[in-house]
Amino acid sequence: MKPGETNITITLKKVFKRFDEVTALDDINVVFEAGTLTTLLGPSGCGKTTLLRIISGLETVSGGDIFFGGDNVTDLSATRRDVGMVFQSYALFPHMTVEQNVGYGLGVLKTPQDKIEERVREVLDMVNLDGYQARYPDELSGGQQQRVAVARALILEPKVLLFDEPLSNIDSKLRRSMREEIRHLQQSTGITSIYVTHDQSEALAVSDEVVVMKDGRILQKGPPRSLYHRPESAFVANFIGESNVVEAVLVNGNDGHRVEIGGIDLALPRNMHIPANPGPVKLSLRPEVLHIEAKSEDKDSACLDGVVTESAYMGPIIEYSVKTAVGDLFTRGPAYETQHPKGEQVQIRIRPDEIIVIPGNGD
Amino acid sequence: MSTTANAVSDSFKPSLIIPWITLGIIAYFCLPWLALEYGLTDATLDEFIDALGWRNNGATIVVPLFLLLFVIVPRFVRSGRQCGWIYTCASALAILTIFAYFITANLSMGLGAAVILMALSAMFAIGIAEIGFQRGDRFIAGSVIFVILLVCVFVFYPTWTIFQTLLYNADGSFAPFQFFRIITAFGVGRVILNTLLLAMSVGAATTLFGLLFTLYATRSTSPLRYVIRVFYILPIITPPFVVGMALILLFGRAGMINDGLMFLFGPQGILLPDTFARSGYVYGFWGIFLAQTLSLTPVAYMVLNGMLATINPAMEEAALTMRAGRWETLRDVTLPLLRPGIANAFLLCMISSAADFGNPLVLGGDYDVLSTEIYFSIAGAQLDFAKASALGVLLLLLSLSVFVIQKKWVGQKSYVTVTGVQTAGNVIPLPGRLQKMLSAFVVIWLLLVGVLYFSIFLGGFVKQWGADYTLTMAHHKELWLGGFSSGAWPSFINSLIFAFIAAPITALIGILIAYIISRKSFFGKGIIDFGTVLIFAIPGTVTGVAYILAFNTPPVELTGTAVILIITMAIRAMPVGIRGGMSALSQISESLEEASVLQRASSLKTIRSVLIPLIRSTIVSSVAYSFIRSMTTVSAVIFLATAGTNVATTYILSRVESGDTGIAVAYGSILILTMLVFTLAVELITGRSRVEKQVKTNLKTV
Repeated sequence: MKPGETNITITLKKVFKRFDEVTALDDINVVFEAGTLTTLLGPSGCGKTTLLRIISGLETVSGGDIFFGGDNVTDLSATRRDVGMVFQSYALFPHMTVEQNVGYGLGVLKTPQDKIEERVREVLDMVNLDGYQARYPDELSGGQQQRVAVARALILEPKVLLFDEPLSNIDSKLRRSMREEIRHLQQSTGITSIYVTHDQSEALAVSDEVVVMKDGRILQKGPPRSLYHRPESAFVANFIGESNVVEAVLVNGNDGHRVEIGGIDLALPRNMHIPANPGPVKLSLRPEVLHIEAKSEDKDSACLDGVVTESAYMGPIIEYSVKTAVGDLFTRGPAYETQHPKGEQVQIRIRPDEIIVIPGNGD
Repeated sequence: MSTTANAVSDSFKPSLIIPWITLGIIAYFCLPWLALEYGLTDATLDEFIDALGWRNNGATIVVPLFLLLFVIVPRFVRSGRQCGWIYTCASALAILTIFAYFITANLSMGLGAAVILMALSAMFAIGIAEIGFQRGDRFIAGSVIFVILLVCVFVFYPTWTIFQTLLYNADGSFAPFQFFRIITAFGVGRVILNTLLLAMSVGAATTLFGLLFTLYATRSTSPLRYVIRVFYILPIITPPFVVGMALILLFGRAGMINDGLMFLFGPQGILLPDTFARSGYVYGFWGIFLAQTLSLTPVAYMVLNGMLATINPAMEEAALTMRAGRWETLRDVTLPLLRPGIANAFLLCMISSAADFGNPLVLGGDYDVLSTEIYFSIAGAQLDFAKASALGVLLLLLSLSVFVIQKKWVGQKSYVTVTGVQTAGNVIPLPGRLQKMLSAFVVIWLLLVGVLYFSIFLGGFVKQWGADYTLTMAHHKELWLGGFSSGAWPSFINSLIFAFIAAPITALIGILIAYIISRKSFFGKGIIDFGTVLIFAIPGTVTGVAYILAFNTPPVELTGTAVILIITMAIRAMPVGIRGGMSALSQISESLEEASVLQRASSLKTIRSVLIPLIRSTIVSSVAYSFIRSMTTVSAVIFLATAGTNVATTYILSRVESGDTGIAVAYGSILILTMLVFTLAVELITGRSRVEKQVKTNLKTV
């Protein structure tokens, strides 16, 4: 399996899915580029798992088409679609050994036994489990079971690899290394992969592109950075990373745009993309762009006055909640600075080049 | 194990002791000390008075005096612990003395004596609680003592009398090898072999069919699969031998099918003359086999259905993504994962077949099995209790070993693959050809069952089945229109009343037992554990024999009374109550009880205010299911019912034996209808699947 040999582009056109009265997927049009790992992200019930299962063939569409490369696979069942899937519960066959589990698909294709053994060894080696062939699933740890599940999905050299929340059942300490392994595997094999998770930091870390879904629709698709720095809606701004959403007024001045936030006036950088018209807007201020400082006597035009309402020592940082004219703002300060106690008058400095303007004038 | 923290009090509160002592003293003076010859309701006033303790034997006046001691002692003793010891020893002594008195004087205990014993047991429980048993929790201590007593009197004691009968000859001499002599006697070996052969065949057949039905019900795409839900109801509402009766109606010598076959293929047949002759082919092995298979397949179905639900659908989906088609997935993934369920179903149906009494009785012909042989040893001219005991012991051992195998070996091996987080998953439909074949099979089966039930109902309206098919109301008239003290009414009313009394007793005691087994650990737990194993494993016939032996003679003489029938029904239905209780309690986190205890609530209050409301629905369905079981039970009550205490099932059997098929079938059909209406009413009131759930719970091993 070399990169570029088996990777294909997945295209969905006008796909929708209804379960009785409920519309689980509504007018999905999306292209998953060849060789990429795309994560479907969203709150519970947004349709990401349904979308994954539709691509796998385990669910049928109510309408629309799915293409693998140039082939229309909409009417093909999972058996025929050439996809590999890693299930949340791993779904390893408890009555078969690791070798039998991984080699199952080859057995169905009537591959000769020695070839099966050889391929199983290759694939287990890729997940660092060569030598475990004779074990049973209940003799393996969670992480090991996970890797066997991945090996089983890889062995048939599928066109598409699908991951259904593969790390939810793994303890948090192990999650990072497993995540890196999965990413590494995907990149070395180059198989187009789709990954479902509800953990957004996992999504940002692992993906080439992220798709944010809500209520059966796709809200935004793009590389992690775009989603983080250029959210196209308040929902995405809130969902990815943390944000303080405040109301402001956008003013189009002679020398560029300015925003008026709670009485202070900030100039936005010239080359900044402003996806809204002048007038009332909503801004997303990430905690890391707000700096808490002791109140100074001079009135600083880049600072909002406020009072500390919560101050919590977290070890490396201190979390603050500060009440200002535009509402309660959440921010953090390094612990090596003196902690600002509750009730203290402070000021919040805002870095203008990090302000995110939410498109659409406040949707 | 959760613990309660009632502080061991340093002085007894009078409010604890006085009610029990008062009860005991009143019982002594006002209730019969000795058993009344004709029971409480039929005794004359003179007989009643003669049976009172103080009239009968002046020496018994020590009893109330002794009881008074319990009230006086706390005033003279400093610490609660010392008092506890005194109570424990004194009451134990008293109980043993009373028993010894009755046994040596060969007298039977009356209601009064029983109440006094109960009061003394309460003193014992209070005593050991003070010493520190169960951390001073009086309610639990009392419950434990109560359950131990129950198990000893109604399970261990009767079982022991069976063994005792075996160990002693009729003339009283010790005969340790009598058992072996009996079972190696001529004919007995054949009976044992017959039973085993039948049991294994039925086990295999029911498991196979149950598997086919389960796969069909969960995996087929035909609407026919909804009809299979009826499987839950049928075996519950049908008294066990009714299927046998229906088979005779259809396939017996004078059966309808035979008539048809004669018409087509007999000597004057119009299709293929002289290829068929009337015979009693339905009697014997094949008839019983068919009847039991038809009755028990729903049971296998439910076991396998339950098992199938624990298989994570992701397994089959994973196989699909590995190019496996529907056949391969079924063969490589689904069936192997079902193995424990298959083993379970086989064992369960095998033992149900061995314990079945009604069908072999009705259809047996020459094919004798253990249960009928036991019956004939006692009910026939033989009156050979030793033989009945020997065969009963065999049957009991068979049942016990199957139970143990099931629990130890099969129970451990379940591949429970449903993890906490469920992935959405559809089940994979059956391969096309298989589905077609199964559809045909299901249709034939359902048709057969339909025809069977139809003939049961029809038979009640037919003058003389096999000879005269004119419709008539005569049978039903005889049964129902002769006034309430003739025809079917006495037995029907008896059944209703007894079941009605037995059912709540069963449900409550079952839950109590489930509670103390699953939540508490204590000295003596092994006794209760073993007792419950016996309750689960003992076949009905053996219970019947044991009860006749144990309760026909002093010190506890209960045969011929309604009480023994109620108790029998309660014991026979007890597994329902216990399993239901255990299943319900396993859903409730112990932290709920712990929270209650931290609020200073006693055990009793915790059970009443926290547990019972949460398991209310289980209690209701437990009561309902116990009621149904009690109404349709036959193998134990057949030994204990008398002319005065006849119940519906025994009445029907007696009419079958005297050849009044019409009446028997008419009554049977009404019984089925009653049960059906009752089940539907319960399901309506409590919400759909209560009874189903209860039935399903009862098919899991403990």
